Amino acid sequence: MIKLEKLHKYYDRQHVLKGIDLTVEKGEVVAVLGPSGSGKSTLLRCINFLEDPTSGIVEIGGKRVDAATAKKKEIFALRTATGMVFQQYNLFKNLTVLQNVSVGLTSVKRMKKDAADKKGIEMLEQVGLSSKLSHYPAQLSGGQQQRVGIARALALDPEVLLFDEPTSSLDPELVDEVLATIRRVADTGKTMFIVTHELNFAREISDRVIFMEDGVIIEQGTAEQIFTEPAVERTRQFLGKAVQG
Amino acid sequence: MENLLDLNFLIESFPAIISRLPITIGIAVGSLLLSLVIGVAAALIKIYKVPVLSVITSIYISFIRGTPLLVQIYLVFYGIPKIIYFLQSEYGWLQSADVNSIAPEFYALMAFSINLGAYLSETIRSAIESVDRGQFEAAKAIGMTPVQMMLKIVFPQALTAAIPNLGNMFISTIKDTSLVFIIGVIDIMGQAKILGSRGLAFFEVYIAVSIVYWILCIAVERLLVKIEKRARRYERGIA
Repeated sequence: MIKLEKLHKYYDRQHVLKGIDLTVEKGEVVAVLGPSGSGKSTLLRCINFLEDPTSGIVEIGGKRVDAATAKKKEIFALRTATGMVFQQYNLFKNLTVLQNVSVGLTSVKRMKKDAADKKGIEMLEQVGLSSKLSHYPAQLSGGQQQRVGIARALALDPEVLLFDEPTSSLDPELVDEVLATIRRVADTGKTMFIVTHELNFAREISDRVIFMEDGVIIEQGTAEQIFTEPAVERTRQFLGKAVQG
Repeated sequence: MENLLDLNFLIESFPAIISRLPITIGIAVGSLLLSLVIGVAAALIKIYKVPVLSVITSIYISFIRGTPLLVQIYLVFYGIPKIIYFLQSEYGWLQSADVNSIAPEFYALMAFSINLGAYLSETIRSAIESVDRGQFEAAKAIGMTPVQMMLKIVFPQALTAAIPNLGNMFISTIKDTSLVFIIGVIDIMGQAKILGSRGLAFFEVYIAVSIVYWILCIAVERLLVKIEKRARRYERGIA
């Protein structure tokens, strides 16, 4: 379970997150929608402290961290409880596909190399890339890289997977393979938090949709609710335009 | 008729000069390794803006860049024994060190390490800063400690990017080691000087020693190309 309480983020004097309160249940798939600059990526990045929230509380799997007093150890605990998939994949360029997935197991989870490799291969099988173990990221397509990114995040058995616009850098014809992979992960019952521009995908995959603008959650509800009868005019506007466009 | 060159003397001087090659290579390689440690440390101090140390580092780099290598060699050669002696007599430290038994090669190694370290630190710093921010974020996101992140992800990429620059500096250092004879190290240059005064044939021995330097630098350049190619293998895409 993830719980965010009164999360605020300022960049200098710009108020990017204005007191976000949110609870995500175990196994829930939550999609966060909203226009650019609405703070949705910042929200995601505050959950694992890639951005330090200015104030508020992040709780994952019972680990409660207060932004005002967060210690390094607590932040590490949050990071090992989360797995992140980046818009730009951010695979480690100097490591092979298998090493990308196993490096967290050996260095963070202190697993033996054999066991880590075995688990790494297992993860890569799940995303359909066990034939590319000794390739380097530069030798893969964007879609393949992103699938490795998903395997890397999954390998550490995080409580929750955070997806930061996972398909936004992909060529259109590569989007589907990544979405299919995310869908398969969702089917295993993982708790997931997805920031995305893929409205149809969000509608199809998520248990709950959150619509954000200007640093606040404007509306949330089941995917059906938000997409068919949004309560707030702004949500209707955003979804309508994006669906047509 | 006067000969331009005593060709026999020139050729015969090669074995003696080459026999000193380990000294030249030893000082160059040894100071490269030590200066990498200094350079990385100085680069990290500046990147993380460590208080006090970063000011000291800036002064160190500025000093090394702003003074001749020759002067730095003299400073090390005359300064270290004085400092050791001072520490021994004033504080009773380093009692086991015998200033008179320190080989001049040691001072040469120190001087070149300190000199090269300053230059490398700037190269290494810019190489570390050129590593994609996303690499840092991904390492943090999976829970790596800063040390793990640096050792496993950032340094391998930064040092690979820095190889051409590091290589050029290393080649310069090989050539600069020709200065060490002034503190009594008999490297290939020192040996050439000795042979030259013995046979009064300076032109010949300096031709010989320049050929040795030249071949050495060509060999190192070749080696660097191979090392770089190997280090960069992960950057090669599909096409």
